Amino acid sequence: MKQIVIDPITRLEGHGKIHLFIKDDGSLENCYFQVPELRGFEKFCQGRPVEELCRITTRICGVCPDAHHMAAAKAADAVYGVTIPSAAFKLRSLLYDAFYAGDHTTHFFALGGPDFVCGPDAPAAERNILGVIAKVGLDAGKKVIAQRARGQRVIEIIGGKKVHPVTSLPGGLSKRISKAEQEEMIKIGDEMVEFSKFAVQVLNDIVLANKAYVDMILSDAYTHKTYNMGLVDANNKVNFYDGKVRVTGPDGKEHAKYEPKDYLEYVAEHVEPYSYLKYPYLKKVGWKGFVDGVDSGIYKATPLSRLNVADGMATPLAQAEYERYFETLTGDRTGKTPVHSTLATHWARIVELVYACESVAKMARDEEITSDKILNIPTSIVGEGVGIVEAPRGTLTHHYKTDQNGIVTEANLIVGTTNNNAPITMSIKKAAEGLIKKGSKITDGTLNRIEMAFRAYDPCFGCATHTLPGQMPLELIIHDVESGEIIESVRRN
Amino acid sequence: MRPFLVLCLGNEVLTDDAFGPLVASRLENRELGDDVELLFAPVAGFRLIELLSSRQSVLIVDAIKTGNAAPGTLHSFPAGALTPSNSLINSHQINLPTALELGRQLGETMPSDIQVLACEAEDIETLSETPTEAVGAAIDPAITLIEGWLSDKRQARVAKDSRQGPISA
Repeated sequence: MKQIVIDPITRLEGHGKIHLFIKDDGSLENCYFQVPELRGFEKFCQGRPVEELCRITTRICGVCPDAHHMAAAKAADAVYGVTIPSAAFKLRSLLYDAFYAGDHTTHFFALGGPDFVCGPDAPAAERNILGVIAKVGLDAGKKVIAQRARGQRVIEIIGGKKVHPVTSLPGGLSKRISKAEQEEMIKIGDEMVEFSKFAVQVLNDIVLANKAYVDMILSDAYTHKTYNMGLVDANNKVNFYDGKVRVTGPDGKEHAKYEPKDYLEYVAEHVEPYSYLKYPYLKKVGWKGFVDGVDSGIYKATPLSRLNVADGMATPLAQAEYERYFETLTGDRTGKTPVHSTLATHWARIVELVYACESVAKMARDEEITSDKILNIPTSIVGEGVGIVEAPRGTLTHHYKTDQNGIVTEANLIVGTTNNNAPITMSIKKAAEGLIKKGSKITDGTLNRIEMAFRAYDPCFGCATHTLPGQMPLELIIHDVESGEIIESVRRN
Repeated sequence: MRPFLVLCLGNEVLTDDAFGPLVASRLENRELGDDVELLFAPVAGFRLIELLSSRQSVLIVDAIKTGNAAPGTLHSFPAGALTPSNSLINSHQINLPTALELGRQLGETMPSDIQVLACEAEDIETLSETPTEAVGAAIDPAITLIEGWLSDKRQARVAKDSRQGPISA
């Protein structure tokens, strides 16, 4: 048996390896992926004041510090049993949607988008943001940069700092915003909505207008019928900052809908002997191995999942895009029939991008956000709290226990990507099975198509670790498992 | 926009990766001057474009692992001489040269003068807010180098301005 290692995966946070175990006849025996992660962070939280975790957990990830800041803040609110003022709730949501508007933009144009815009068989050196600009035009790059800057500006206004938010604390926010800042955010919101229309147009022109891409999205190699998870608001619409966790089955029927504090009744974590990674699964369905279907507790928590579990979007343009998405992919515009095509996650991300932008424009106009009632100072303590937000990469859970002084005694974090460990493993395996056959030559394009299955999840691993000097090449190593010798080595930089 | 930027990168909870943030907090208590912006950023990638755009001169302070020098060794080199540190390449695979090139292609005014001051790290994986002894001991010498860099930049600017003659208000 041969082992193929794709190491590291390009264009993701952190770095990882994909191991493919190939039998002597060239067929795929098994696959797993290995990633570095920031281990020991939960222990690191112990002994610290819970309010400090809003700041310190942002160091878990250099890309979505905003998500950790919000989940930590919500968990800390719960630890003190305090309900934050309405204005603070709106401001946190507004900041968070602005963050999404930037993050989803980055992923579509710089990370996942190049697969489609430049094509899966384009040389690796061209499959990046510069390649996208070369194809779509300089103007697109300018728009992307401007859109990101808008998101950053809103984070700076509400979150207090240029690069990451610091203003949430138990009970609300530490800083109010001025009328002038509100005016600025209204303008930003309107510009964001315009950008989202441009993103939809790029998706239409480059991805959806290309039948080969659509066929690839819908192909069996990129399909997995798992459960789905995501936050929904009181009307079962997609919400990133708050709500109940809703889980639906591969058939689209509701499996569960629960308050964040009850997550342990629904989610458990499986451990594989070969990996330190944990594989969350639905407790009431059970762990049945790396298989999909209604009897397997594996679930996805991604943009695709959030659209699958919701009944729609809370804003008009996003709702129209939601309907178009489902109608195209399932023939059912109500969204009741779930989409299981992993690569459609990129499209779902665009639907969410439209929503995030519209939401910023809408909430920025809310008169209440300039209120000075932004903090309810806690007066007592519960000593335990769970905060859940939707990180762009999946449902993010922070769970803290504290003593009576608010000092953390126990912390449990399920980060966005962790939810998807099992489906990512299955997606890689399935994509590889479809592509690696006996005697077939493994090309750069083959490797990229396997990676595409992975990249759709926008995974983020141990990205607070600023390790590895130099460029990260992509390396394919084929081992003879019996002797351990390297039979073949393919490297690209 | 202040012409000079001292941009400290890193993660203050990963042992020696705290070098950048520790330098930043030390500099916060010093009078650097109105022409300098001091920023600590636990980020990289795209966000570098936004931070670097329209600056005249930039000094990036970070930890590095070359493996070719003793921990605590300070490396100083112009950006572009090599792909320098981990924080500079990690985020979204947009490394510093790519970020600069992208910024330029997009018509942003990217600084042509970027110097990197990086401290050779021993451990950037263990969760700890305390750097190793060698890296901790490099902070003071780094501050001296940073102040020297600023002084050089100011002198160069004065020399340039005097060549161009006074600019009337």
